[in-house]
This record gives sequence, structure tokens and C-alpha cells, in this order.
Amino acid sequence: MNRAAEQSQENPLREGLTNRAVPQPCSIVIFGATGDLTHRKLLPALYNLAADGELPPAVTVIGFARRPKTDDEFRKEMEQSVKEFSRQAVRDEIWSNFAQSLFYHQSDFADESGFKTLADRLEKVDKERGTRGNRLFYFAVGPEEFEPILKHLKAAGLNKAPEGSWARVIVEKPFGRDLDSARELNRVISNSFSEEQTYRIDHFLGKETAQNILVLRFANAIFEPLWNTRYIDHVQITAAETLGVEGRGGYYETAGALRDMVQNHLLQLLCLVGMEAPSDLRADSIRDEKVKLVRCLRRMSPGEVAVDVVRGQYAEGAINGKPAAPYRKEERIAPDSKIETFVALRLNIDNWRWWDVPIYMRVGKRLPKSATEISVHFKKAPMVLFNKETNEANVLVIRIQPDEGISLRMQAKIPGSSFRIEPVKMDFHYGTTFGKASPEAYERLLLDAMSGDATLFARRDEVEEAWAFIDPIEKAWSAKKDAPELYFYPAGTWGPEQADELLARDGRAWRRL
Amino acid sequence: MPPPSGTYSLGQPVTISDIGAELKKLWQEGEGAMTRASLINLAVYSERPGSLEKNTQLIAKITENHSCRALVIGATPESKEDRIEAWVNAHCHVSREGGKQICSEQISFSLQGPCAKQLPSIVFSHLDSDLPLYLWWQDDFPNDMDPQLWAWVDRLIFDSQTWKDFDKQMRLVETAEQEARQRIVLCDLNWTRLDKVRYALAQFFDHPASHHHFAKMESVTVNFGPGYKSAAILLIGWLAAQLKWKTNQQHMNGSCRFLDSNDRKIDIELREKSGNPIGEVILNSQQTKFCVKPAKCGDLLEVSRSGENETAKPQMMPAQSNDPVDLMTQELLRGGQHRIYLRAVNAVRSLLGNGGSPTRHGD
Repeated sequence: MNRAAEQSQENPLREGLTNRAVPQPCSIVIFGATGDLTHRKLLPALYNLAADGELPPAVTVIGFARRPKTDDEFRKEMEQSVKEFSRQAVRDEIWSNFAQSLFYHQSDFADESGFKTLADRLEKVDKERGTRGNRLFYFAVGPEEFEPILKHLKAAGLNKAPEGSWARVIVEKPFGRDLDSARELNRVISNSFSEEQTYRIDHFLGKETAQNILVLRFANAIFEPLWNTRYIDHVQITAAETLGVEGRGGYYETAGALRDMVQNHLLQLLCLVGMEAPSDLRADSIRDEKVKLVRCLRRMSPGEVAVDVVRGQYAEGAINGKPAAPYRKEERIAPDSKIETFVALRLNIDNWRWWDVPIYMRVGKRLPKSATEISVHFKKAPMVLFNKETNEANVLVIRIQPDEGISLRMQAKIPGSSFRIEPVKMDFHYGTTFGKASPEAYERLLLDAMSGDATLFARRDEVEEAWAFIDPIEKAWSAKKDAPELYFYPAGTWGPEQADELLARDGRAWRRL
Repeated sequence: MPPPSGTYSLGQPVTISDIGAELKKLWQEGEGAMTRASLINLAVYSERPGSLEKNTQLIAKITENHSCRALVIGATPESKEDRIEAWVNAHCHVSREGGKQICSEQISFSLQGPCAKQLPSIVFSHLDSDLPLYLWWQDDFPNDMDPQLWAWVDRLIFDSQTWKDFDKQMRLVETAEQEARQRIVLCDLNWTRLDKVRYALAQFFDHPASHHHFAKMESVTVNFGPGYKSAAILLIGWLAAQLKWKTNQQHMNGSCRFLDSNDRKIDIELREKSGNPIGEVILNSQQTKFCVKPAKCGDLLEVSRSGENETAKPQMMPAQSNDPVDLMTQELLRGGQHRIYLRAVNAVRSLLGNGGSPTRHGD
């Protein structure tokens, strides 16, 4: 984050104009340019950056994919996608200009010659468009494609940048499917790109509210003194969605909710909530603190998995009054699939701050509403004076999506001559308070990668430590003997009742969303 | 009850002592899902006739992006009659997510006669507590400004383009800043007008390989619209302050000269041309020309660099609209300190004097 200051000194005209690192002109090569991610997220994000004047004019996008296509065909396809998915309306003047920076490179990922011609093309782009040898390779492909692409990039000399320039690689999740495969993936990446060149994207971290967690905690004096085992009773993190697998059945069958959401997004959110204050705002200072927290997560034995983790799969039900098919009848799902679409966990963080403060997480598909939030439940006030009869705890809620904001529940006296106490809510809504729409997570993250700011990207050790925590759970589930049960829940409900029992046995309940 | 979106009247007349109660009533009588929102207190002061109505229209639009408690003041201090009138109203608009109405309160004051000098006691007693006060002063500052005023203000917004005597006005503003012990942030809308042009010029030099051009700069040409010479001079002031140029020659005919830190000459040409406040800006660095100009469509900037071995490939960037609502929206969005502004002013103070007309300063 402090690269902003360094760069503004380099360019005196930038001083006072921006307080973030300035993105450098570069070529962005997207592997998997005909895929969904490119159409729905990457190109709309790049267009929005261009329309807002945030993208250096020289930035050039080269779509790399197998299907034969001309530059013009690629541009037309992208125009349709951007028109459909962009957060702001597409203006012809801006699009026609932006479209001139889009190119298509047809090659098979396994074809070494395709990468040699890519290298020639990039050199030409450097000369013609002023991208100055800077290259950003975006892997919008499955991890099985990483190795050949990385190998050929290295063979073509594209993993190294000329003096004064840079080459970076952005990889999308899943970062492996267990610790071993994550290590292998990291090994494969590190054969071609160093850790400093590698940007593992977790779009949750690009969300405004996720970034605001650190601001809330460390820019306000009132929360930090209370942010520990002495005052916090427990923390809940929920990521609920009404959607099912939506055509991602093939992938989901190999992943499940634990790998798809908990290993990355939810543990990242937990890190932001639970980490110690970093010494400064440099990417590695923040990531050091995050990884320390993941290391403190208590690893579970198979017996503990059976007690502290509940897995579920949606059965037939209804979402918003419309019938919803069971998971096992979705497209490309095995009829006897044991993949979890819901998981609830009780975690423990073994450090001084969080000792004896359980963290409850739940994530699921086909739940009654879509919402991601963190709630910090404080300990109750002594049951004397006003709290003799009812005693509700203070709850601080950080809403990640939708309706981003923060609320604090507290007790208040109901007007009248008697002392009746009821909980009231102080509520801050981003949408109400700030008129300006937040940029999409991918916009922020792409800019950061172009600026060399890795703060919001996962580091190798973070990923591996997260898998080291997740692996014992997956192993317990896949054990041939005494594997914990997979529970079924009707679509449109809050998961299996065992998830409620997980908290009920501690005398707690999930926050009503 | 807040009026529906689109009708921007002063609202309900109220007596000063009842403002709090009438505001409360406004919300109690409101219909539907409404949320009162406020990030700042935005006070707008003007002595121009009809300003209350005109500023109400502006505030209604500004609050679409910046929720605030607006305090709109129409003053006629020279009036012999000592009279105060007040109105309360709310500006509501549908939130980005839809459904909910987000409302900002407006309290309007008509201050006639001596009471116009008592802003702190009459107006500022109606601030939304704990929120910063932004004071948008739309006229020239009088010599006898109430020093008490500055204890209240967090950001002072003005437009130096309208000033008749820049030197005198700037001195008053700086005095205000000193009286507030540098706590006040000075926000000149004439500076805000330059935001996007400054972005567009700065981006040419983001890559370190472009920095050598700073030492090779030979000339700068700025076209400006009628009445916006001061904006053009401020732009030059920004370049001079940031690139450490010092004034050398000033002429009457719109051109002047600066020296860089190696005493190399940089010729400046300011040309009045009908059109945008800031039209085409060209920075010439030996063989390379950096150009920013309004695009044909009007609300974008076309930026390009060209040179001996380089053909211009124009790119589009956002332009700053000169509409007061857009200028205020942009200014309120920026926040933070504006240290560079005073540096830019100081670099061209002698040029800005006398209403922005370059004067001969000696060779």
C-alpha cells in the first residue's frame, strides 16, 4: 500500500491526485479469453477502469484461447459482454477507443509455438503501444491448465521481464484441492514465477466492505480494546446464497462448499477479523499477520470433525416460492453424490486474543436468502439492574454483501414510566451514506496487480496454511470407516438442523439474517 | 413531509426557535420508507438576489450523491431592516439499491440587515452535531469577516474564478486559514475544475522512463475559455510548483517564461479561445508533444503523445464538467488536504494578481 507514496514521489505530477499506487502501462494476457470469467468479470472490469480514467492508456489486452477468432470477432464478442455485465453503461466513444487495445491470440495451451508467437506479438505491442515490457498474465482457466501454460511461458522467456519492467501472473482459485495439490501447484508456479510475481486472487478481498474491516478495527479507537476474549463471546461468519450450482456441477462435484468457499473466502474474512494490527500497511506486513492467525487455527481430529463440523446437501425444496430441484438432480451431478453444498463449523483460534472464543462459520447453497456477513457477539452485561429479566448481548454486524454496511445492536429503554429494555440497532449503510457506487472487486484487484500491490492477494503460505486446516476435515469426511454423516436439508431452509445444534449445545444460536 | 423528488422549494416556513421541532415533524409526517442521511453539514452563503431558490436547486442535486444537512443562507447585510426568515425542507431520492428513499435536510435562512453578520449564533446553532462543516462561500469575502466564523468551519469552498481581486481575496482566505490554525482546508472550485486535466497530464509521466521529459520541457500552451484565465494560470502554477519551475519573464500578451531548476527556459503561452474553461493543453519536451484536449463529444478528454518516431494514438479519459453541481460533487468526493493547491497558487501568485491578467513583472 505504501507504494503509492513511493510512486507519487517518482512522478511529481501525481502528488495529491491519488493516494494509491499508480498502475503501470502493460500488456494483459488472459488465458481462457473465451470463458465465463473473462466475459462476465474481467473485460467489464477493464472497460470500467478505462471509462473512469484509471487505466493507463497504453494498457493492451490480449485474449489467448484455443478457438480460432480474429481480433475483430473477439472485440465484437467482448462488446456484447461488456454491454451486458458492465456496472456502467457502455459509451461508444470510450468503447471504440478501448476496443483498439483488445487483441486475440489463438493457440492451444499445450502448443509451445503459440507462446513463441505470443512473445513476438508482445514485443510488437511494446513498441507500438508503449507497454514498456510490462506483462500481466491472467489465468482464467482451470488449474489443470496451469502447468503447460507456465512451462511454455518460461520456455518463451515470458516469465522474466527486461530490466526496469515486470512480469506478473494472476491465478484464480481453486488453489489446489488439498495441501499436497496446493503445494504442487505452488511448486509449478514457482518454477516459472517467483512469489513476488504471483498474485492469487480472492475476489472477496476486493470488496469494499472486506477492506473496511481493517479500517473499522484499526482506525477507530473504541473497538480494539474490546476485540478479545475478555469482551467477545463468539463470532459468526455466514455466506449464504439462494443459487444452486448453476451449471458449475462438474467443478462443484470435485470441490464442495468447504473447498469452494471456506478454504479461501471465509478464512480470508476470518483473518481480517482476527489478525493482530500489522506494523505498517505493506502487503507483506498485512499478510504476515493473516498467516499467523491461520496458523493458530486449532487443527481438528476426526473425532472433533464429527462434533464440530456439519455437512449438508440440499434436497428438493423451494426458493422464493419456486420449486427447487435437489442437488443430486442438477446437471452434471452424480445421482449418489456426497458432495456438501452446506457446511457449518465451530473453530477455535489458539492465541491469547481469541482463546475460548468460538468462531462459527456457515456457508451454503439454496439457502433462503443471499447474504454474507460477520457478526461479533459481545459478552452479556452482568445480570443485575436493568438486565435481571432479559439480557441481550451487543452485536456488531459487518455486512459484506448485499446492502454493505455495519450495525451495532444495543439495549435501550422503551419510552414510558416503567423500565422496559429492548434492543435497538445503530445502522450504517454504504448505499445510503455514500452516493458513489463502489467499484467491482475485480476492478480494484486488477489495478492493484498492475500497480504491484499484493496486499489483497493471497500469499503462498496463507494458502498452504489454510489447506493444512481444511485437510483433516476433508480426510475425516472421506474416511471409509466412521465418516461423519452427510445431512440433507430442503432447498430454501437454513441448512440441516444439526447446524443449529452446533450452536445450541453451547447455549447460542445463529443470528437471524 | 418531504416533497417528492423533483420539486425543489424552500419548504415549510418556520420560526428560528422552532427549527428543531419542525425538522422532527418533517420526519414524523413523512410517508413510505425514508432514511435520513447526513455525512456533513454543508452551508452555502450568498448575497446575490434569488440565491436561496437557485441554491436550493443545486443542493437538491448535490444531495443525490452527498447526503448532508444543508444550511442555505441568502444574506443582504446592507439592508436596514433586521429580519430573519427560515424554512425547512428535505430532498429525497431513491437509493442506488432502489426502494428506499434517502433524504437530506435543508434549512434555509434569509438574513437581512445586521443579523447577516451573526452566522455562528443564528445558523451554526442548527448544525448536525459531530459532523464537519463545509462552508461554500459564493461571493467575494468581505474585509470585515467575523473571525469567530473560522472556528466552526472545517472546509472552506470558494471559486477563485469569480473573484475580482485575486490577491486581496487570497489574503483574506489565508488569514482565515491562519486564524483557524491551518485546520481549515481551502477548496477552490477553480482548482477542482482542473482535476481531470491534471490527471490526464500526470498519467503521461507515470512510467519512470518518461521522467527525462521533465528536464527537457520547452514550452507549454494552454487554451482557456473566456473568463477562465485564472484557471489556466492555476494549471501553470501546478506544473511550476511540482516541477520546480520559477517565474522569469511575464508579458502582457498572454505569454510568459519560467526557468527550471537548471535555469532552462520554458515558454508559456495562454490563449483565450471560446469553449471549455480549459481547452487544449500542450506540453512540448524537445521531440515529444503531450496533448490533452476536449474530445468532440464534449464530456471526455482526448489524450495523446506524439514525437519524431511516435505517431499520436489518442485515448479517451473523463473530463471535468463545469456545471456547479458536478464541480461540488467532485470536490466533496475528494476529501483530504489540498496542499498542492497553495503551492500552485504561490508559484503563480504574481500572475494571478489583478484578476488573473498576466502583468509585466520585469525581465
